[in-house]
Amino acid sequence: MSGPLPKATQRGQALTRDLAGLLGGGAASCDPIDLWAASRDCWPRARLWLGDAARFAPEAVCWPREARQVVQVLEFAAQRAVPVVTMGGGSSGLGASLPVRGGIVLDTKRLSAAPRIDLPGRTVDVRAGMLGARLEEQLAAVGATLGHFPEDRAAATVGGWMATRSGGVSAGRYGKIEDLVLSLEAVSGAGEQLRTIDGPTAGPDLAQLLLGSEGTLCVFTAARLRVYPKPRVRYRRAIRCASFGGGLRAAQALVRAGLRPSRLEVLDALSAVLAGFGNFGSGQLPPMLRGLGREGTQRSLRLLLGSPRIVAALAETLPSALLVFEFEADGPDADADVEEDGAEALRLCAGPGEEGTDLGARPADGPLGSRSGAMLPLFAAAGAFVERLDLAAGWERLPAVLAAVRKAVSGRALVRCKLSHAYEGGGALELDLLGPPGPSLTDLLDDVAPAAAASASAEDEPDEDHRSPERAAEDALAAALTAAADAGATLSHHRGVGLARALHLPREQGEGMRALRALKQAFDPRGILNPGKLLL
Amino acid sequence: MSVTEPQGPAAQGRLAGLRDELSASGCSVVLEAASAPDATGGGLTLHVTPKSVVSLGRAVAMLRAAHLPLQIRGAGDAPLPARPGVAALDLSALDRIGPIDLGARGDQVWVEAGCTVAALEVAARRAGCTLGALLPSARSSSVGAWLSGPTRGQRGVPGARRESAALALSWALPDGRLIESRPAPRSAMGPDLAHLALGGGGRLAVVASAWVRLLPASEVVACSVQCNTLVDAVRAVERLCLARLAPARARACVLPGGAVRLAAAWEGLVGARLERARARRELEPLCGEVELGGDAGHWVRGTSGPQAVEVDARFGSLAAWAQRESGLPGAELRLLGLHAGGAFAVLQSAGAGDADACAAAARACGARVLAPRRLRDPKPEWEAQGAGGAFNRLLTALGAEERAR
Repeated sequence: MSGPLPKATQRGQALTRDLAGLLGGGAASCDPIDLWAASRDCWPRARLWLGDAARFAPEAVCWPREARQVVQVLEFAAQRAVPVVTMGGGSSGLGASLPVRGGIVLDTKRLSAAPRIDLPGRTVDVRAGMLGARLEEQLAAVGATLGHFPEDRAAATVGGWMATRSGGVSAGRYGKIEDLVLSLEAVSGAGEQLRTIDGPTAGPDLAQLLLGSEGTLCVFTAARLRVYPKPRVRYRRAIRCASFGGGLRAAQALVRAGLRPSRLEVLDALSAVLAGFGNFGSGQLPPMLRGLGREGTQRSLRLLLGSPRIVAALAETLPSALLVFEFEADGPDADADVEEDGAEALRLCAGPGEEGTDLGARPADGPLGSRSGAMLPLFAAAGAFVERLDLAAGWERLPAVLAAVRKAVSGRALVRCKLSHAYEGGGALELDLLGPPGPSLTDLLDDVAPAAAASASAEDEPDEDHRSPERAAEDALAAALTAAADAGATLSHHRGVGLARALHLPREQGEGMRALRALKQAFDPRGILNPGKLLL
Repeated sequence: MSVTEPQGPAAQGRLAGLRDELSASGCSVVLEAASAPDATGGGLTLHVTPKSVVSLGRAVAMLRAAHLPLQIRGAGDAPLPARPGVAALDLSALDRIGPIDLGARGDQVWVEAGCTVAALEVAARRAGCTLGALLPSARSSSVGAWLSGPTRGQRGVPGARRESAALALSWALPDGRLIESRPAPRSAMGPDLAHLALGGGGRLAVVASAWVRLLPASEVVACSVQCNTLVDAVRAVERLCLARLAPARARACVLPGGAVRLAAAWEGLVGARLERARARRELEPLCGEVELGGDAGHWVRGTSGPQAVEVDARFGSLAAWAQRESGLPGAELRLLGLHAGGAFAVLQSAGAGDADACAAAARACGARVLAPRRLRDPKPEWEAQGAGGAFNRLLTALGAEERAR
């Protein structure tokens, strides 16, 4: 916490009193610490709001325990014309649950009665406020798994996953949350209790029009999810590929053949450097790049990030990419099954034109992607900005999407890239934009050169914006997203829209924004749910 | 909200005016007497054939502005008698298929909504791909009808799940504006708006074109077993699906002696062979010896008789139907689009009953009848899910209100 706590307003106190009357004592609050906790999520940009700890504070927070109470809260809010923002674990990395227009934060964490697991039927009935990690623990206790392991699983709720169309690392095998939801229960902004059917239905798929609505159309209260037997055996391999493009082709060949790995990733050379893996054992790392790895200090990081163009050029000289796959199986023949899958995958990766080199299981143990991701806090500590993109496109467009983003942020940020998800129809790229702490060397040179030519005067101070990490991050992110959209990618594969992507929604949806507004009128005719999000 | 208006001279005049406007916007238009006249014995029907996706948008806007119910047809769709006061929107001129570049383009093809699924399959086969296992009614319809119809263009995918074959869609809103989604395997940029068109039967949006994902054509890998009863056969297939070994298609039939033959087939370049081997392990404890060779691959693709009905059902419903037919030679079910909870099925009763009787039996077991079209179950829709009010508001917000049919 780096700023003052928000203060309860008079209206907030009145709302709290009335909400407590509706829901019972202890179910509503306007205590500063509760308002502060409800005023932020895990959006990295929020860390840059120094001295402004609660830029978006609600007026009251409430904790309903059942769907009926959610209906009561929404009716109450509609009568008072107060916005209602649903918050689960507050784990959104994009600002999806920030109450940008104040109002009531409806915290779903008490909607968390024990799940009902039907292992023979492969289903679990779960309340929306159940923490994903807790659900997975309870499933594991009976030998089951959801197979949904997103990066925020420790803190996220099931409802939050549904609101943002979350996807885990094993989505290629198990599906994203929209594939796992068999039916759902929700309360619309009009106060109607919606219950979709786990079975054949007529007309448009209601659930698919609600999933991903980020609290703007309804409040999710429960779901029936598909579960699977917990895998007993895993088989991992790392394959060195000649290039990132070669890695993509090998990954496509794997899924096209009908194999279903639980993990299939392709990491670029910079990821390997960040993970402290050199250049995948294919030669010496240029000395300058060693400062980016675990041997690096904050000073070396600052220096290197100040020269993104040079570092990117050096990284491009590294020849390799790494493909990592993992198969898993349950049952008495699990060992043989994963060996068989792995052998087929190795054969495909070493096939004509790919010639991948099997590096064995060791590099794939303890995900390299996570190891390189673990470096990111060090960058943040060095004052750099770190913006993560999760883009998706058909296989044929992925190389062009990556090239477009790299070009768009060239000189402004380094781009770390990983193919994070692979499906038959295409894949998802996880890109980290790593920007300089303060002005980049290029910016300084750009500033200095014209200034010198114009016989530098006192008025020729560099633009203050260059020195603002938040502004630099915004600029780099906007350039990257614009380039990705123009190259045909969807701008979010599994993290949602939030505040960070909202301005790019029209670029992606085009005339679809009209349909989105129609959905808003249909499900939230009183306009009380999470106003401002999804530009609604 | 709907408005009922009888067909009178004023209405006929309006239709004639609309015909002229539509003609000017690039559509072929015919105004003719309805083949199924209204109660007064009169009535006109407007047949509109857009020649391009753009003219489709214009036509939808004009027809919706006139609050006319749309009856959408693509080439190959089962014809229904046109009702008076209805605009028949014929998409058969929108039949282009884009180039299919195997592998490099990710096995996907752009196709217009009026193209027949059969024509698309022929084009895909020429390029070494296939659309995969589809219900006969889907195969005989247009791409638009397949996607906006009751199966929502879904088919089984490896892992015992169902997915829409449409990787991306373009569709016309009631105001005529065209919306295009991006051809990406998954997206989290808000709700999946394509579902306004998928399965909607054209009420909320009209499918104009789609990027359809193709599957690499491969040899069919099949096996067959003998089961004691039809119910055992259904339970055996369910077991495969719960073990994520769902076949692309399966067929179970009561043979003349009362025994039941079950065959299953997998399709895929490498995965099919692996899954069949694992399925054999699952099936043997239930059904005894599993035959891998023979004619199973051919038999499983056999066709059903005219009295068969197509349904979407959970395994419990299929087992209940199988129980009714158990021991009756000739009873059979063919399963496609299998997932861990159920399947699309073609059901054929053993008796001499017609499709109506077969459909009634299937409904009694909890299945939803999809085809033939005249027997299709219109429910459960949004109202049964607590969203009837939301649906009406959505119709209003989109400008898709219709006169009463």
